[in-house]
Amino acid sequence: MKIMKPLMTALLAIALFFAPQLMGGSNVSYSLLVIIGIFAILAYSLDLVVSDLGEVSLGHTVFFGTGAYTTAVASSQFGLGALETLMLALAASTLVAAFVGLITLKLREFIFSLVTYSLAVISITLADNWMFVGGTDGISGIPPLKFSILGLDYLARTDQQLWPVVYLGLLATLYLVHTFRRSRLGSEAMTVQLNTGLAIMSGINPMLVRMKVLVLSAPLAGLAGWLYAYQRAYISSDVFGAYFLLIMLTAVIMIGRRQLLCPLIGVALIITQEKMFSLGAYWDNIILGTIIILVLCFFPGGLSRLFTRRVAHT
Amino acid sequence: MENFIQQLINGLVIGHAYALIAIGWTILLGVARLVNFGHGELYMLGAFTTWWAISAYDIPYGLAILISMVIGGLIGFLMQLIMLRLTFRKDLIAIMIVTLGFGKVISGVASLLFGANGEILQTPLSSVDLYWNDLWFTYQDIAIVITALLMYGLTWLIIQYTRIGRMARMVAEDPPLAALYGINARLAYFLIFAFEGVAVTLAAAMVAPRSPILTSMGFDETIITFIVVIIGGIGNVLGNYIAALLLGIFIAFFSTYISAAFATAAAFVVLIVLLIAQPNRLQA
Repeated sequence: MKIMKPLMTALLAIALFFAPQLMGGSNVSYSLLVIIGIFAILAYSLDLVVSDLGEVSLGHTVFFGTGAYTTAVASSQFGLGALETLMLALAASTLVAAFVGLITLKLREFIFSLVTYSLAVISITLADNWMFVGGTDGISGIPPLKFSILGLDYLARTDQQLWPVVYLGLLATLYLVHTFRRSRLGSEAMTVQLNTGLAIMSGINPMLVRMKVLVLSAPLAGLAGWLYAYQRAYISSDVFGAYFLLIMLTAVIMIGRRQLLCPLIGVALIITQEKMFSLGAYWDNIILGTIIILVLCFFPGGLSRLFTRRVAHT
Repeated sequence: MENFIQQLINGLVIGHAYALIAIGWTILLGVARLVNFGHGELYMLGAFTTWWAISAYDIPYGLAILISMVIGGLIGFLMQLIMLRLTFRKDLIAIMIVTLGFGKVISGVASLLFGANGEILQTPLSSVDLYWNDLWFTYQDIAIVITALLMYGLTWLIIQYTRIGRMARMVAEDPPLAALYGINARLAYFLIFAFEGVAVTLAAAMVAPRSPILTSMGFDETIITFIVVIIGGIGNVLGNYIAALLLGIFIAFFSTYISAAFATAAAFVVLIVLLIAQPNRLQA
């Protein structure tokens, strides 16, 4: 039996890789899945902080934007390849997270949230006024993702060619989140969230745990930013904005908490609605807002509870 | 020197505007220990309903303000009705995200109704310029200062000396125990949230004529409010008033002498430094 679960997981992972082909293999389906993949990685970054640490960071777009801007500058102005920009994006977002962690070390609840949001506002102001990163024009002309490993060159000009990279990133993200939740740090984070007093008695340093989880979550957002910069070939201060925040926050709370695939499913639903059945940006906002309100007020465990509860009753 | 005094006056007016915008949150947070991340969107809605009443129906400014306040109060009431369970559980994290959701719904609906263009909210008071030597301000500015002073005075009196104020404070302290004393906690929460809606729409109707209004302007107001509430001390009505004035003067001078683009960001930096230096300020 022990072999069954990893085997099933591997099969599912392989099957999902061919999802775009199963959806017809058109450019549209590749684009859709690439966007879903990128937003899902971003959502997992926030998921670690919201679900495991129990704090709502409204500043995760800062890590995302740091990754995207680092990639854009390094590739378009310094001509670096994708592997180098990846390293830089991960390092930069981690560093920024360490800084954010330091200044928010003692902040809780809505004050933590508002301070992290204010950092996003500062980031927008900086990006809009700093000519080195293009000011309000942003950075255009980001070259396509290109790297070579062991003499093999890979160039991703289209979303179809980008998909394997995005998918690999998503798998790595899922693995990291899964491993984290089974790790010592993961259970320490839960203890701090559920009962800080007990955590301290058992020898846990809550501030250190908070710092570690925040810093761990940031490179995921950085990775998403790296992919996003290559996918769009253009970025502006929008990457720090409320649009990304709202999507990741909704995806995290929508389906269920601390269940590995839930944020991915949430992102897939939201992005599919937005790209395929959009009623315009205003309606998309109303829909997202309504989902947030309904889920938290009436289905606090997420929509997945609807089904599990029904199963339990029958 | 003239410019200095002009900026000081400017800062005082902006400060009173911030104070007026923040009072709903001050009460919400200080008295009931609740938060509303849709605060800025309510402000936006207040500005637009006032503008719409005046420009589409020629309703007099005073009446337009009243209409906006009624709408604001109803929406506040409705928000509390929907999230009552969360309020009683004191689940601040969920309340925060839910009110963020309300904000998005409000801004989405307002954009559908009023469009995405910037509008000017012109009032009989905002179009009258006053000159005093070389110093310039409008009747609207004077009205903002007077309204802010009245609101703070009234609120302080109500909280300290009336039955409603005592009721609200008892509910904030311990809802079940307050209920034992025969206090209707549900009603208290409804009243407080309705007050938040009324106060912020009143602020919008008074302050919004100072600059063009946009349906996307919401969250910045929440952020300014947040700075006021934190610097002033949670639940400290007088402290909040003073903090708003200081912030207004800071913004006015920073915009003029250093950089207008970085003014809000600079205010945040001050706030963050303050939070690091004095984390205890946050224990309400």
